[in-house]
Amino acid sequence: MALPAVAIYSFLYLYPAISNLLYSTQRWDGVTKAQFVGLHNFKYLATSDDLFHKIVANNFRFSFVVVILQTLFSLMFAIFLLKNTKANIFLRTLFFFPTILSSVSVGLIWTFLYNPNFGFINASLKAIGLHKLALNWLSDGRYSLYSIAIAQIWFHTGQMIVIYLAGLQQIPAELYEAADVDGATRWQQFRNITWPMALPTTAVVVAYTTIQTFRAFDLVYAMTQGGPMNSSDLIVTSIYNMAFGAYKFGYASAESVVLVVVVLVITWIQRRTLRVDYGSK
Amino acid sequence: MKNKGMQISAFRLGAIAVMAIGLASASLTSVSADSTPTFGTKCTTEGASTGTSTNSLICQKGDSGALKWARVRISSNRQTPVPALHANAGTIEFHHWRAEDKAVFADIISKFEAANPGTHIVQVIESSNDYTNLAFSQIKGNPKSAIFVTSRGGQFTQFYNGGLLRDLSNERFVKSNVISSALTPGTVDGKVYGVPYQSLFNDPIYNADMFAKNGWSVPKNWTSLLAFCKTVKAAGIIPFAWPAATRGNAGQIMNSFLMNSAPDLATLTSRIAAIDTGKADLTQPWFVDIATKYQQMNAAGCFPSNVTGYNDTVAPADFASGKAAIYPTGTFGMSTVTNLNPAMKGKMKIMSLITVDTKPLYEGITNNTFILHVNAKSSSRDQNIARAFLSFLTTADIAQQYAVGTSQHVSIVNVDYSANIDLLNTSDIMGKKLLLAPRFLFNNVTTVRNPLEDALIAIGGGADITKTLTDTSKTIKQGLGA
Repeated sequence: MALPAVAIYSFLYLYPAISNLLYSTQRWDGVTKAQFVGLHNFKYLATSDDLFHKIVANNFRFSFVVVILQTLFSLMFAIFLLKNTKANIFLRTLFFFPTILSSVSVGLIWTFLYNPNFGFINASLKAIGLHKLALNWLSDGRYSLYSIAIAQIWFHTGQMIVIYLAGLQQIPAELYEAADVDGATRWQQFRNITWPMALPTTAVVVAYTTIQTFRAFDLVYAMTQGGPMNSSDLIVTSIYNMAFGAYKFGYASAESVVLVVVVLVITWIQRRTLRVDYGSK
Repeated sequence: MKNKGMQISAFRLGAIAVMAIGLASASLTSVSADSTPTFGTKCTTEGASTGTSTNSLICQKGDSGALKWARVRISSNRQTPVPALHANAGTIEFHHWRAEDKAVFADIISKFEAANPGTHIVQVIESSNDYTNLAFSQIKGNPKSAIFVTSRGGQFTQFYNGGLLRDLSNERFVKSNVISSALTPGTVDGKVYGVPYQSLFNDPIYNADMFAKNGWSVPKNWTSLLAFCKTVKAAGIIPFAWPAATRGNAGQIMNSFLMNSAPDLATLTSRIAAIDTGKADLTQPWFVDIATKYQQMNAAGCFPSNVTGYNDTVAPADFASGKAAIYPTGTFGMSTVTNLNPAMKGKMKIMSLITVDTKPLYEGITNNTFILHVNAKSSSRDQNIARAFLSFLTTADIAQQYAVGTSQHVSIVNVDYSANIDLLNTSDIMGKKLLLAPRFLFNNVTTVRNPLEDALIAIGGGADITKTLTDTSKTIKQGLGA
């Protein structure tokens, strides 16, 4: 009975994954015959490719900002929108709306918003006298990565709100009623009931967001293409450029193996940190 | 037999070459670099009244002061153009990235299909970025893509190495209908593997009307260019609407900086090759000199404020609305400008961006946006349809329709541009000493040219020259070594 599933899984997942592993040990331009180079690609990545190190660091910064803020905002909004009132249902739809947009559209919208000369953000800042804060958001290497991170958060927070709402609705109302009777404040209720009970959901949100940020490509490609001077390049944009721009498929495969390892390690650390034990439930 | 055939071919080629040289030096009035062509409605009227219908024309003041049409000197082999081939029935795909040409191509395709019943050509269009990155794998795996385009340089080389380009050397329509000098980008070891179709000129376009009203003259050397920027900026106008935030078009001016950066073309080519292969870095004096000039332009106020965030949406809009004097991209940008502001029609001219104070080696840049190819891996029937369609595109009437419809010059003989005033007004650049865009001599686009152009953009935006070039050199070398 499981054979068709195994066959499909092998064809769609195992075969590409193993092929990728194989390519990562080769030097191949996609045209001429591939040449086996052993672990050279990994060695070069680890010891000689400063740009890749910078890109990995970019990705960690990007991931850190997005995971923290996106989790925080989605939890906060989910708590505010928990009750099934008409206004809340409307607001949930509103917050979810960016999720249904195509990433290229979101990239274009934010590119216009960030435009230093006529964009809404700088125009607003200038209108209220904050000329010094009217920055070159996407074209200054100091801000480009964080500007994309904000767009990413706007794009995906709605999705995480839905996950949080599902998790928060599982918390028994009796716990809050008992806390009310005991005279617990809102903050105490959050700290002692909501947060511990929402921890498994938070683990899912954090893991999902982390994976999302390490897979991020579309917004970066639409907004900066990794520039200026690679300041907003992430691992996946680097893999894409290496494979389809420089035609170094072997090297790009090695980068993608590194990406998988990085995501696995981070997710494992997160699960350990959040002390989630699904097995005991 | 084979040797004999080759001898005959060589003899014929020699005869053609002799004829070409003879005809190119014929007594037709031609445009020289020193001439000052005159453009406008008067010229159009006068040209039309002569009834001349021949190779690309411009209007020029003769010795007597009268306006007359002059043939632009183009090295055509002057063979009598041949009609299009007939296509057998069938359907093929035409892969390209010129979304802006879709409607014109659709009309041309419908004419072709009407002339060849049972034949269908389907346009498959992708964005230029996707096409650059994905076209090779897509076309390689799809023999139905019997006709497709490549960009000059790296992409052409990739397709050539992949064996996807059919040899078109013996096609009569290639020999007779295409300007022979324009074939260079599609030629390898003397064999023609593609027809560079659209001829463009990657030189700044300026608002001639604005120049005339303000009494500005086109800067002829580096010193006058910097002075010009200061004058124009003082008048509240952006001198150069340089779209630095859009690498593709921001890089166009690098062609002009490169063209006079070396004593000769061989030196320039070897310098670029050295950078492209990692044998030399960007801190060499000649490249530092180029970077310094970007910085000088920035300091002289040539560029708009926040230039590194100034993209190719804003730049043509500023130029079209009269906020900027010069749009430094190329003739391919004119249609965007006239779409934004139809009143700009007939007001644009093209200038040389001279970055030296000595006599320039070159006065302008030319390039081919795309090269048309027949897929050598397609079936013979599909290749025949592709050949027929390619031959159809090289006929003068169709090429003229394409040129006028897209506001681009073409590398096809006997095309009359008088139906498009902007093409006509910029045709004088054809008479100048032009260099095939050296920017595309960089074969390693992702690992070399992109970071190199990013470095110049950053420096044009005020970044430190030494640090930027040193860091970028390191990135390039490590990228090449990966």
